[in-house]
Amino acid sequence: MAGVLIRMKLAVLRHTIAGPKATWMLTGGLVGLAIAAGTIALATADAAPGTVADLLAVTFAIWAFGWMLGPAFGGDPVLRAEQFALEPVPRTRLALGLLGAAFVGVTTAVTLVAFTALVVYAARLGILSVVVSIPALVLQLTLVVLLSRLAARFFGALARSRAGAAVTAVITATMMVLSQSGWVVFIALDVVLETGFSRTTSLVIRALPSSWGVIAVEAAARKDWLWVVGPLVALAGLVVLLVLLWGRVLGPQRLARPVVRGSSAARAAKWTDRGPTAAVYVKEVRTWLRDPLRVQSLVVAPAFALLSGLLPLMFDSTALLPFVGAITALMAATVSSNLYGQDGTALWLTLMTPGTELADVRGRQLAWLTWFGPLSIVLTVVGTAIHGSLWPWAIASTTAILGGGAGLLLLTAVDQLVPGPDPHRNKNSPLDHGDTTGPAFVALLLVLTAATPALCVVLAGDLLDMPLLMWAGGPAGVLTGLVAYWILGGLAAKRLAERGPELLYLMRAGKEHEAALSAETSVIKAMPRHRRGLLWTSFFIGCLATFPQGLVPLGMKLSGEIERVWFLALYLPEGLQWPVIALMLLIGLSAFALASWVYLTESRKLKAKLERKAAERRPQEQPLAVG
Amino acid sequence: MNAVQPRVEDGTAALRLLGLHKVFGEYTAVDHADLTVAPGSFYGLVGPNGAGKTTALSMAVGLLRPDEGRSEVFGVDVWADPLAARKLMGVLPDGLALPERLTGRELLTYLGQLRGLDAKTVADRATELLDVMELSGDAERTLVVDYSTGMRKKIGLATALLHGPRLLVLDEPFEAVDPVSAATIKRILNRFVAGGGSVLLSSHVMALVEQLCDTVAVMAKGRVVAEGPLDQVRGAASLEDTFVELVGVKVGGGEGLSWLAS
Repeated sequence: MAGVLIRMKLAVLRHTIAGPKATWMLTGGLVGLAIAAGTIALATADAAPGTVADLLAVTFAIWAFGWMLGPAFGGDPVLRAEQFALEPVPRTRLALGLLGAAFVGVTTAVTLVAFTALVVYAARLGILSVVVSIPALVLQLTLVVLLSRLAARFFGALARSRAGAAVTAVITATMMVLSQSGWVVFIALDVVLETGFSRTTSLVIRALPSSWGVIAVEAAARKDWLWVVGPLVALAGLVVLLVLLWGRVLGPQRLARPVVRGSSAARAAKWTDRGPTAAVYVKEVRTWLRDPLRVQSLVVAPAFALLSGLLPLMFDSTALLPFVGAITALMAATVSSNLYGQDGTALWLTLMTPGTELADVRGRQLAWLTWFGPLSIVLTVVGTAIHGSLWPWAIASTTAILGGGAGLLLLTAVDQLVPGPDPHRNKNSPLDHGDTTGPAFVALLLVLTAATPALCVVLAGDLLDMPLLMWAGGPAGVLTGLVAYWILGGLAAKRLAERGPELLYLMRAGKEHEAALSAETSVIKAMPRHRRGLLWTSFFIGCLATFPQGLVPLGMKLSGEIERVWFLALYLPEGLQWPVIALMLLIGLSAFALASWVYLTESRKLKAKLERKAAERRPQEQPLAVG
Repeated sequence: MNAVQPRVEDGTAALRLLGLHKVFGEYTAVDHADLTVAPGSFYGLVGPNGAGKTTALSMAVGLLRPDEGRSEVFGVDVWADPLAARKLMGVLPDGLALPERLTGRELLTYLGQLRGLDAKTVADRATELLDVMELSGDAERTLVVDYSTGMRKKIGLATALLHGPRLLVLDEPFEAVDPVSAATIKRILNRFVAGGGSVLLSSHVMALVEQLCDTVAVMAKGRVVAEGPLDQVRGAASLEDTFVELVGVKVGGGEGLSWLAS
């Protein structure tokens, strides 16, 4: 069974490995290997063996945690139990087979490398510990793979309900904030290496199943056989238990999807005489409340903002609190940047009523503002009140981002549309949607850009010591926000009207309608419109952030000859200059990376297409039927 | 839509496809297709899977841009004057999404407003349509996403009928629909035609087309290979036999499989 499934998985991987997926796999694999190397380095850390064991236990717990959260981001595994639901195979056997197949993968290989840290640590303690560490390593790896598969089932079932979607959103937000704040860990590490963990912390960490291997290895050094055999047997027992549990949940979906009820006949008929914009608005407000995917967006934005604002409190800093509202609005725009893609082919109804495109855009903008506007404003007021200052900054950024977000959100949704399964086809697996990293990234950069003018007004007031000018940032934010809402929303409606049938085709077929190609076609011309837009935007932002805003001020700081001109970093207080230069370089380099990723994948696609065409002057390939 | 319907000259075809042509990459999905649906006729478009029925209908109603050719609804060009054309027709595409998180009534109310109907008309028609389609009562508060296939087809037909069109274009209206819902849909369509409306539907169920339609067209490999009154097209044979002959395919299933149920 396992052999068949492993061969099957390898075949699927071979077919999907082309294109962007390969890039991600390679990048992910390299990053993973670097982290694995870090884990092994920990095992050789120069500290008391007990402290190193604690550190390893913490790290292994983080690896296990990562394995459990992975499916929430990575989507469904290659081989799913549902695909074999009708095969006459006992469930436990299927579970074992799928487990075997789950071991084949980049992630498992990387984790195996990381877990050899256990063997390295054992080598410090003696030959007996090394002998014990090998079965411990195998059991530990099996444990995390199993936990991951069970978590995938669990999250999949969870995300079908709205409450579950909210929980998933909070977990996602926590992951994002933690991954951005990795530096805190290093500070903590520095302290721990000298003083060791407190006794309670140590006990709690060692109670986790991911630490039992470490306990056994330690006990082997002391020749304390009870504590060698005990944890290993417990680990093996847990693995068997999880296999059995997995076999049980493999059957048809047991966790039913809670059904959301709509409004009664009387309430459905309300608000009916206020025109098409109101109609779209009411539909959107209802959808935000009823669709688990939207509920997830509703929760993830404020959760991310709050956690980011609260993290600096560890160092008694409230400096981020005034911006919690602005960050909420920014994240809200980022996560809602694929609204049309989420609604799928329902676009045909808009196409069938020409002239309502603007109403569609305005209704969606207003609904978005209804859900995120008051929330952002309240968070801004509360956060700034707690911090006690920075009012002009907070007001300017919140208003500008809300307006800019409302304007750019739908322009991005039309221009960078990512097709996914239609909502009625994936109602039982809402986590299975198109990869929206592209539009999210574009929305993030553009909304930040839209907020710059208002922030520049505040900055100018600060520098010139003109409080009135600083306070003018707020009205400036409202103004740029209104302009963005009005003009960019109008632009989105115009594009929607012009390209409606093409967008619908993209969502029906899952890819853009390809025009005839020849060998002379340049990559830039051949790539889909939205890809071209993404390429130029990120290239432009990359140039701007890397050279004038990053490298030039860097050179000036190093040489000491400072001319401020329009170099943002040099206008800021001394302490902020280096971080801003670093941030600019980071933005610039990631924008360049995005641009080259787009170029490389598209040129590879074009090349493959041309080769295929050259090879296929024979009978035509199977067409892509619409519908 | 608005109470005032665009003026239509008598004798113009309800729907006319003029040389519609569509190429996907190197594959010709629809090859210069011509069709004429007379006013008041019940028109069936049949063809095997992949014959280009959905592509042709999508181009005819304005959901897919044709490479060449035109489509006219009562003489109004669908691509040049979309607003006027779409007031005259109701469309039911196959398998497309709807605003999924609304109830049937909310959906009809939303579409009525979008199409510029006044509140009273919307409310009355929504109630009538939901009652006729058996989507009120127990199903009142069920969201469209939780509808069964038959219910989806029925709410789709309700959205197509809502603004009182004169032509219905239905893509596979009976696909995967249970017999009870199918009977409801058939009765409504027959009433619509009896009242002077025109219907164009696509299907690959021959018996159904024979039962309902007065005019048929057969599509194969993107081309219209036969068009005319039902009796003329099928002649003495059944529509199914004529169809197999026209499409020119070899019917499989006769060889191999000796191990099956032996």
